[in-house]
Amino acid sequence: MITLLKNGKLYDPAHSKNGVVEDIYIRDGRITSKPSQTEKINQTYDLTGKIVMAGAIDMHSHIGGGKVNIARMMLPEFQETKNYSEPEAHICTPNCSHMATPNTSDTGFRYIEMGYTAAFEPAILPINARQAHLEMADTPMIDKGGYAMLGNDDYFLRLLSQKADQKVINNYVAWTLHATQAIGIKVVNPGGISAFKFNQRRLNLDENNVHYQVTPREILKSLSRAVHDLGIAKPLHVHCNNLGAAGNFQTTLDTMGASDGVPMHLTHIQFHSYGTEGDKKFSSAAAQISEALNNNQHITADVGQILFGQTVTASGDSMMQHLNTKHANPKKSVIMDIECDAGCGVVPFKYRDQNYVNALQWAIGLEIFLSVEDPWRIFLTTDHPNGAPFTSYPHLIRLLMDKSFRNEVFAKLNLDAQAMSNLTSLNREYSLYEIAIMTRAGAAKLIGLNDRGHLGAGAAADITIYTDQPDREAMFAKPDYVFKDGELVVKDGKVVKVVWGKTHTTKPAFDIGVEQDLKKYFDKYHTIQLDNFKISDDEFADDGRGKIVTH
Amino acid sequence: MKSANINTFPITATCPACGLLCDDIALENINHQLKVTKPNCAKTVAFFERAIGENTSLIAGKPATLQEAILKVAEILKQAHKPIFTGLGTDVQGYRALYSLSQKTSARLTHMNATSMARNLKVLQSTGWQTTTLTEVKNRADVIVCFGSDLLSHNARFFERFVDADGMFVSAKNRQVVVLGEASNQAIKSDALQAAWVLPCRATDLPSITIALRALVAGKQLKATKIAGVKVGDLQTFADKLKAAKYAVLTWVAKDLDFDHAELTIQNITETVAILNKTTRAAGLPLGGSDGDTSANNANTWLSGFALNDDALNDEHAEHDAMLWVNSFSPEKASPQTDMPLIIIGNSNIQHQAEVFIPIAIPGLDCSGTLFRVDSSVVLPLKKVRENNLPTLAEVLCQLEERLK
Ligand SMILES: [Zn+2]
Ligand SMILES: [Zn+2]
Repeated sequence: MITLLKNGKLYDPAHSKNGVVEDIYIRDGRITSKPSQTEKINQTYDLTGKIVMAGAIDMHSHIGGGKVNIARMMLPEFQETKNYSEPEAHICTPNCSHMATPNTSDTGFRYIEMGYTAAFEPAILPINARQAHLEMADTPMIDKGGYAMLGNDDYFLRLLSQKADQKVINNYVAWTLHATQAIGIKVVNPGGISAFKFNQRRLNLDENNVHYQVTPREILKSLSRAVHDLGIAKPLHVHCNNLGAAGNFQTTLDTMGASDGVPMHLTHIQFHSYGTEGDKKFSSAAAQISEALNNNQHITADVGQILFGQTVTASGDSMMQHLNTKHANPKKSVIMDIECDAGCGVVPFKYRDQNYVNALQWAIGLEIFLSVEDPWRIFLTTDHPNGAPFTSYPHLIRLLMDKSFRNEVFAKLNLDAQAMSNLTSLNREYSLYEIAIMTRAGAAKLIGLNDRGHLGAGAAADITIYTDQPDREAMFAKPDYVFKDGELVVKDGKVVKVVWGKTHTTKPAFDIGVEQDLKKYFDKYHTIQLDNFKISDDEFADDGRGKIVTH
Repeated sequence: MKSANINTFPITATCPACGLLCDDIALENINHQLKVTKPNCAKTVAFFERAIGENTSLIAGKPATLQEAILKVAEILKQAHKPIFTGLGTDVQGYRALYSLSQKTSARLTHMNATSMARNLKVLQSTGWQTTTLTEVKNRADVIVCFGSDLLSHNARFFERFVDADGMFVSAKNRQVVVLGEASNQAIKSDALQAAWVLPCRATDLPSITIALRALVAGKQLKATKIAGVKVGDLQTFADKLKAAKYAVLTWVAKDLDFDHAELTIQNITETVAILNKTTRAAGLPLGGSDGDTSANNANTWLSGFALNDDALNDEHAEHDAMLWVNSFSPEKASPQTDMPLIIIGNSNIQHQAEVFIPIAIPGLDCSGTLFRVDSSVVLPLKKVRENNLPTLAEVLCQLEERLK
């Protein structure tokens, strides 16, 4: 069975194709080179004038696991208010959707309808990994995967405070990847979630966790080294200390130097780019952060753009989220300490365009997007649902690609915030090629998905086809066709076939001897058996939908 | 799932009989009869040692093949306009299948524990809460408070496993247990519980006592000298103890708070925690849990976007015309009395007068499965530990869906 996509305009940065008109052939779910003339073409799509890209990949989106489900449970009102008539509605467009906590089917459907074919849950608590995978298994249409959180678990902190050999740490990190079926490692507020359990309220990069007497810097150094030594493609995913706090940009700058040049990814960097200038002691440090990103080749970042409206923040950062509970809107929140492993904080939040801080947060995100030069090292995210629901990506893409639209929105914001931002002096407009880098080729390269994010022979046929429209939001909201593993699954922005996608993992080699000490630790301090902590491949196969791919 | 091989005995198994999901159960197989060698927990022993009962399907009390029974169920559900699926005692895989069937039959879903589940959910949806999990309790809690007296009857091994054991940051002998409830007449096997400070009161006194405690922890003065028989001086000492604790854990069992507006009492407890967390560390911990209630709630939430909070059995205006009772774990718990056509799918030991009865494999005994622990964050796999030819709930419902097409 061969499908021919004829005459499309290809944006395939992995192969430096910038709007080249070419044919694509699909065979058995993969892109293939041109078949011989004797072979029959079963199906042809004439894509003359259409834009062709690989399926988009969201490298950071909270789509599965305890936090998101707590948000759903706590906020039934979110499910009911699908019609948007809030004050911010004047900034919204017909394509805006404000569904911050979709159920698992809606998650898969809304992603594929926008041409996204994969999304990665960035904060899997190892102890809660089974739930995250259960939810992702019930998320149709797209591929999934996740990053396991370490660096606040008592086992790791004990190793670090005992000055354990780096090899021992590497083995524990590798063991965790196997046990949790994850593809990367994340650290959230390094040492801070643990410190909060000992009643510490803030933790700076070079400050000790009171109990373990280790610093966030030491944690970052050890974990980034482990990820690097193990040969894991995805660099350590770092949610810095001091999330959301005025003046936190210095922590972020210092964090870039904490790994001695070993690659790290700083996530939702917008929330970590705040200065203390001006009357309100809250200012943009986007210029300093962008300059540092431009100068530090070993650092990548995703933005975590905020967009106006109602959402919910769901984070592993219990320490900083506890401080945020006073801003909860509606007025309720959940804070949890979890299993000597991690924590979480779920705080609903409404970003208002007439609020000084919120308006400036919006501008800071865009300033970073427009000031970071290398699109291979900056990624398009809203940290769904923390900055905005992922369904606002088309809107965000238009903001990046259309300067006059961006400036029109900016002119409607809180005036004091406008005075504190240089956004209108940034003339850059992202090209389709750059968007394809940020949302496809770059994301696949970052995570180590060799057969995704590009349109070369051998790639999985995850392909999105758009009509070239001047309104980029309308264009990216509703692709003409989406192919998932070679099957047509979306036509004219609507799902025409339900598929289930795969789970991407990585399983580096390690010394299983690490389990001897872990077993003792589990028997003494944990409340489950070591064996039950580990998620077997069979658990994915059991329901007939799940399929694991190991990179 | 059914085909999974049984490992050689002895086996370490996970017990679904209460919300703690103890996974250190030692099982032996003696003459084809399962024997729990450890621990000595009545619920665990009853769960694992009960033999398979009626293992053929019944239509109007007469033996039928599984296919015939499924066909009959399909007939009943096709005729029904608004069926109700209740009991819902199953694991995640079973619940997914039930949810899918409910979507196709416009059925209402309500768990057998719906009334007590709603008490906690109302608090979560009104103010939220600050909570913890069992491993944190074991390793950190220096003060453990039980609001209500009957924790042991729900979670028999709570003290043995998490309080009487030494933790990473606190030793067992340095923990203090405080009980606000009636003095238990059960034989207490726990050192910590034996040494507990008991402030005697009835469950129905908890609304006024928890209000007073919350006020005292917030630093307010009370004019009264006694609240529901408890001396305010004692409550003040209690409040001071909480404020001085490094990590106080305040527990309750929603099922035991069986009075009107129990959610307000739970909220007094969770808001007390929130006040404590301004200066020290504390956490709430809802306990109890049974019959897959936490699993059903979680799975329903991600599948539908909504918590499982429909207390349909107490809805006087509900007009249903067929009832499906699903009960895998607790054969002693009977289905509600009803005039509707009644279908029972569940444990082979259920006594019943259903129109159709289909015995199924019990997750954790006859088939593998997955359950959420009462603290929600921990999800454990269940093992198949005995030979049987029973179908799983998902298998039955999958075939049923085919028949409904
Ligand atoms: Zn909008
Ligand atoms: Zn995030």
